Amino acid sequence: MAAAMTRRAAGRAAAFFGVWLVLSAADPGALIPGALAALAAALASLRLLPPGPRRIRPGALPPLLLRFLWQSVRGGLDVAWRALSPRLPLAPGFVTCPLRLPPGGARNALATEMSLLPGTLAVGQEGDALRLHCLDVAQPVPAQLAEEEARLLAALEEEPGHG
Amino acid sequence: MRLALDLFTILCVSAGGVFFLAATIGMLRFPDTLTRLHALTKADNLGLGLVVLGLLPRMEGVAEALKLVGIWLLALLAAATVAQLVARAALRETAGQPGGPPR
Amino acid sequence: MAEFLVVAAAFVLLTVGAGLVRILHGPAEADRMMAAQLLGSGGIAVLLLLAVAMERPAAVDVALVLALLAAFAAVAFVKGRSPSGAGDPEA
Repeated sequence: MAAAMTRRAAGRAAAFFGVWLVLSAADPGALIPGALAALAAALASLRLLPPGPRRIRPGALPPLLLRFLWQSVRGGLDVAWRALSPRLPLAPGFVTCPLRLPPGGARNALATEMSLLPGTLAVGQEGDALRLHCLDVAQPVPAQLAEEEARLLAALEEEPGHG
Repeated sequence: MRLALDLFTILCVSAGGVFFLAATIGMLRFPDTLTRLHALTKADNLGLGLVVLGLLPRMEGVAEALKLVGIWLLALLAAATVAQLVARAALRETAGQPGGPPR
Repeated sequence: MAEFLVVAAAFVLLTVGAGLVRILHGPAEADRMMAAQLLGSGGIAVLLLLAVAMERPAAVDVALVLALLAAFAAVAFVKGRSPSGAGDPEA
């Protein structure tokens, strides 16, 4: 258990240090304070956001991130077209969709992704359902949500040494 | 090559400006708080992304370019997360008012 | 090229500035917050454009700080508006 915790802390510290390297443009003079800050951030994050029983497979992360970016491009195009169109094509309303993902980080990631998708914005969870606000209630929102959820589910794996 | 890169910058930055314009027009034209939140969350982040993309060839090195992309990713993630919080605050505020959402 | 970037920065600044009309009109407090956020992301773009146009790399760090502050401001707004102050408006 302690070994697993140390591994998690090391993994998170490495991730935070990676962010530091990007933001400091890998300035050699900033490496030591950055390493200390990454360690402190990793310890704080383990306390504030304890690891769950499942995690995203490391190899599955880049394609998911690319998909997030691509969806945000589509979402931006969609809303820009609606804003600039003279007849203002909007049919706003709420849609509530059932969720298969358990509560936690993966579900929140799905809500965030749905907020970037064209026409949908997560506005809250009701039990095991996600409430979405839609720019056009005629679009097939439940099918879109099911597809994104299936992708996330496929990217998850059981945390080794847990449960 | 130089000319092609300049053209790339001009195209991307101009397109980014169009999306900032669309975000503002959406903020002013859309009929209610939540539809305006869509415009804010999606259009202006795409605008920022295009500005970043257009500036990438003008960076001195890979480290500086990565930093620019990092700023954009941070803004994108923050906007998508914050939008959900603001949406719930807006729902709470407008619930029960005429034209507000059902509660 | 520097001239183009300065013009682009001015365009973005004027555009998001026009969005600030929402702060006057509201009607919801959330509308006002959103207009301020638009100024935040527009401000990031303006700073990045000027950093390159005027060859002041330090402005990129200012943009980074603005990105962080915009996120914190929005979270503070939501926390301030939830009755318990816990941050979740549904709680």
